[in-house]
Parts: sequence; C-alpha cells; structure tokens
Amino acid sequence: MTPAIEFSGVVKDYGRTRALAGIDLRVEPGRIFGFLGPNGAGKTTAIRILLDLIRPTAGQARVLGFDCQRQSMEVRRRVGYLPGDLRTYDSMRGDAFLDLIDSFRPEKRDPAYRHELCERLGLDVSRQIRALSRGNKQKLGIVQALMHRPDVLVLDEPTSGLDPLVQETFAALIEDVVARDGTVFFSSHVLSEVERLSQSVAIIRQGQIVAVEDIATLKSRSVHVMEVTFERLPPPGAFALPGVRELRRDGNTIRLQARDGIDALVKAVARFPVVDLRTEQPSLEDVFLAYYIEKRPPDEEERRFASA
Amino acid sequence: MRRLVTKGLFDARWQVADYGLALFIMAVLDVSIWPSYKDSLAVIEIPEALEALLGTDLPISTGPGFLSAEYFSWIPVLLIVYAVVQGTGAVAGEESSGTIDVLLAQPITRTQVVLAKTVATVIGAVAIVAFGLLGFALTVPFIDIDVSVWDVFLACANMLPITLLFYALSLWLAAVAPTRAVAAGGAIAFVTATYFFNALGSTVDALSWLTYLSPFYYYGAGLPLVRGIDWSHVGLLLGVAAALFVWSVRTYEMRDVSIGGSGEFALRDLVRRLTMSRAG
Repeated sequence: MTPAIEFSGVVKDYGRTRALAGIDLRVEPGRIFGFLGPNGAGKTTAIRILLDLIRPTAGQARVLGFDCQRQSMEVRRRVGYLPGDLRTYDSMRGDAFLDLIDSFRPEKRDPAYRHELCERLGLDVSRQIRALSRGNKQKLGIVQALMHRPDVLVLDEPTSGLDPLVQETFAALIEDVVARDGTVFFSSHVLSEVERLSQSVAIIRQGQIVAVEDIATLKSRSVHVMEVTFERLPPPGAFALPGVRELRRDGNTIRLQARDGIDALVKAVARFPVVDLRTEQPSLEDVFLAYYIEKRPPDEEERRFASA
Repeated sequence: MRRLVTKGLFDARWQVADYGLALFIMAVLDVSIWPSYKDSLAVIEIPEALEALLGTDLPISTGPGFLSAEYFSWIPVLLIVYAVVQGTGAVAGEESSGTIDVLLAQPITRTQVVLAKTVATVIGAVAIVAFGLLGFALTVPFIDIDVSVWDVFLACANMLPITLLFYALSLWLAAVAPTRAVAAGGAIAFVTATYFFNALGSTVDALSWLTYLSPFYYYGAGLPLVRGIDWSHVGLLLGVAAALFVWSVRTYEMRDVSIGGSGEFALRDLVRRLTMSRAG
C-alpha cells in the first residue's frame, strides 16, 4: 500500500545548522500519527518540507506517492495544513478568509460541512480575525485545514491555545478523518497529548527520528516520577533497585524515577517513614531519558523543556 | 486567483485613494495656477545649470513645459513609492507577517501568487494615475494652457512604465533580500541614486554617461508633453521591468519560504555567502 507520508533520508541544512539529519519515516494511510519532540527538534521543518514551503538539502519526501517537491500541486490538493504559528489576514472576517481558501479548491467546496465544523468548534466566523482570541484563531485554522475533506491532514501543534473542551471536539474531528480513510499527521511536544490522540508515534530529537512506536508500546514503557519527603533521610543507595533511578536529593526530599512498573519502588519507599509523596506525569524528557537516549545527556533545549 | 487579485486591491484601497487624491489635487492646482504664473515666468531667466539640477531643462514658460516641470517630473516619485511598498509587500510582506504559510499550502503556485499581486498593483497604479488624469480633464479644457486632454492622457500613461520598472525591481530585491525592510531600503536607495544620476549627468558633461544608467532618463519628464513620447524608451523600461519580474518569480519559485518572517536564516545565509565569497 502506498504510504500516506514517507520521508526518505531527508536532510535540511540552514547554513551551518543541521535542522534535519536524514530522517526516514513511513506513515500508513488511515492512521492518526503523532510526531513528538521538544521544541527545535525539527518537527516544523519536516512538516514544511511536505508542503514544499522549504526544500530538503537531500533526500525525498512523498505524500500519497507524490513527490513533495516535483509534484507539489498534487500533494497540496490532497493535504489540509495547519501551520504551527498560524497567521491569517487580520483585517479579513473569518468567513471571508475561509472563502478565500475555498476558492483554491472550488471542486471541493462544501459549505454545509464547513458550517458544521464551525458549529462543532463553536467558532463565530462573522467577526474580524483581528478580534478573535488565540484559541478562536486556532479554530479557524483547524476549519480551513479540514473543510475540503483532505486525504491527509497535516497539523503542526494543533491543540496549542485550545481549551480542554475544544480539544475533545478536535479529537472527535480527527477521528472522523480516519473514519473516512484519511490520515492525520500531527506534531506535538506534549507526550500525554500524543498518547491520547494518536495510534502511532515518531519521536524526533535534534533532527533525528529516535523511535517509531505504536502508542500501546509507548504506554507499556511507562515512566513514573515520584517525589518523596521522608522523616529522616534514607541512606545512599537505599533505592538502587533494578528499573529505579534516584534523580535528585534535596533536604529530606528525594526525586525518584521508575520504569517498567512502580511496584518495586513503592515497596522500597515504604521501608522508611514517609511525610509527603507526590507523583508526576512523566514529561517527554523523562521518557526520553528512560528509554531512548540513556547514553547521552539532554541538551540545553531539552533540559529547559523538561523543567517547563 | 481572482480572489487574490480582489484581495490585493482591497488591501491597497486606502493607499490608492490617498495617492489618487494627491495626484488629483496636484493636477487641478497646477493647471489652475498656470494663468497667474504664466506672465511672471516669462520674464525669469533660470540659469541652465540650475534648471538641469532641478531636473527641468524644460521650457517652463510654456504650458506643456510648466506642467512637465510642476507635475510630471516628480509625481512619478510618488508612484514609485507606491510601487516599492507593493513590490516588497507582495511576497516578503506575507513572509514577514507569517501569512504566507497558509496561502502557499493551498494548490496554487508561487508564480500565481506573485502574478495575482502584480495584477492588483498594476490596477492600483492605473487607478492612481487616472485620478490625476481626471484632475486634468476637469481643468485643462477651461484654461488656456496650450495642452489637450489627449496630451495629458499620454503624459499620464507615460508614468506607468517607470512605475512598473521599480515595482519589478522591488519584487526582485524582496526575493533575494533577507527581510522586507532591507529590500525596501535597497529599492529606495536605488531610486534616489538614479534620480540624482539623471540630474547630475545632464549638468556635468563628464558625467553624462550616468544618465544612461538612470530609469529617470528613459522616463524623460518633459518628453510626452513637449516633444512627444519616445516609444523606444517606453519599450526599454517595460522590457527591463518584464525581465526583472520573470527573474523575481523564478527566485521565489526556487527559494525557501521563510518562517514567521524573521528572515533570520536568510540573513545568516546571506552573510555567510558574502564572507565566503570574500574569503574564497
């Protein structure tokens, strides 16, 4: 079967900066595919190559078998795209903007569906874009990407600025795309979001794909982070157990990380009098550290990202 | 694509109205003051050198000469400012504001985008010039200025080729420069320099070759009204404009679209290329 999206050895250099260091990726049609990585990892660069906004230094990208550079028009006819930093014509009204976008694919105009999308997202298109909040602008971006029922939907950080309720609607909308055999490819820097929305995930880091997994596999690679305050500080090495890592000591508080199940850790902690205990959602960085990049310390951007 | 043209026109509507109004007022004023100035101008002897430096080696004591000096010698500069704003705004402006990503993600080629914006700009320029022409048409028939409406029509139309040339130049500069501001600065510098080339070249014999480098020489402020249009000059201006336009479009087709319009990468690339070519 022709993959919906395919990167083959794609390299992108900006001067001396290497943004993509030869990525290979295959996205099968009919799936929701998450593209996960910290900011600056190369997600946007890869996505913009699909739309022929930028040209790869080497390698080739294809959408539904069409070369993204040489057959870009074929690609763009079939792709709905939401940029990461969506900017629209502020002086236009929402509906005028949608009319403009519609005018490029007259054969796919579907006012009823467009209206339905706006209704579901709760977007008022009669207002000037300048007057819309960030979340509402993002809704407008989602509508313009979806309204012509694209075969492939490419979304760069789609949920940024959306409140949780609208994120639910968004999840339903992309489910609809897959239900009619479309493909959704979206980037995110939030692990939990990718887990919630997608079926497969590629993890990108410093311009390289470090892992491609089914979400089920990713979930089984659970990471737990626990911050425990003890009455008295346990001796060093008290938590030197398989699958457990002591990350930091701060007074009587110890930050611990466990992979492959939390049982051993809980039992180890219980040996000492506990004053307080907090568990945290593992950050993307925690997962990176635990499974994919143990050998190499995180760079500055990732550290910042992990602490955010 | 028609919608893009409409949008371009809509976006430029106030600009076109402002410039148009300026041209209209200037046309009406220039023609209306002619009767009172005619007699006093006839007795003034302006030194030849000063005339040339002012860009007017024109018989300003005649109606056609007066209008050429008072209107047609500098109004093109206004039109050129409009052209520079539009030319640098066409694509680089959308890159700066970041709106280009959504636009170019649609099934439309970059050439089509540039073409649509160019059509809108040309229509705008014609409209501005038409406002001025209207001013003449309402005054010239009633004042003894020795100029027909047809003459001013030709003179007004003659301002368009140089406008298009600077539009195409701006478009090209915006295609190669890292930011819109750099492109606009470059275009304005070029307009100013060539304006003075023309003035200087016609004053100082040793520098007369400079005039041939200046689009303003080929525009020739007084020609249409005083001596008739030189079609070879019109052809040359339009030819260069067309060549620059094609080159710009090709550049846009080939290069990356900058993100969020920071132009940061392009600037870095440019600096790198410059330093490398110097080193090499």
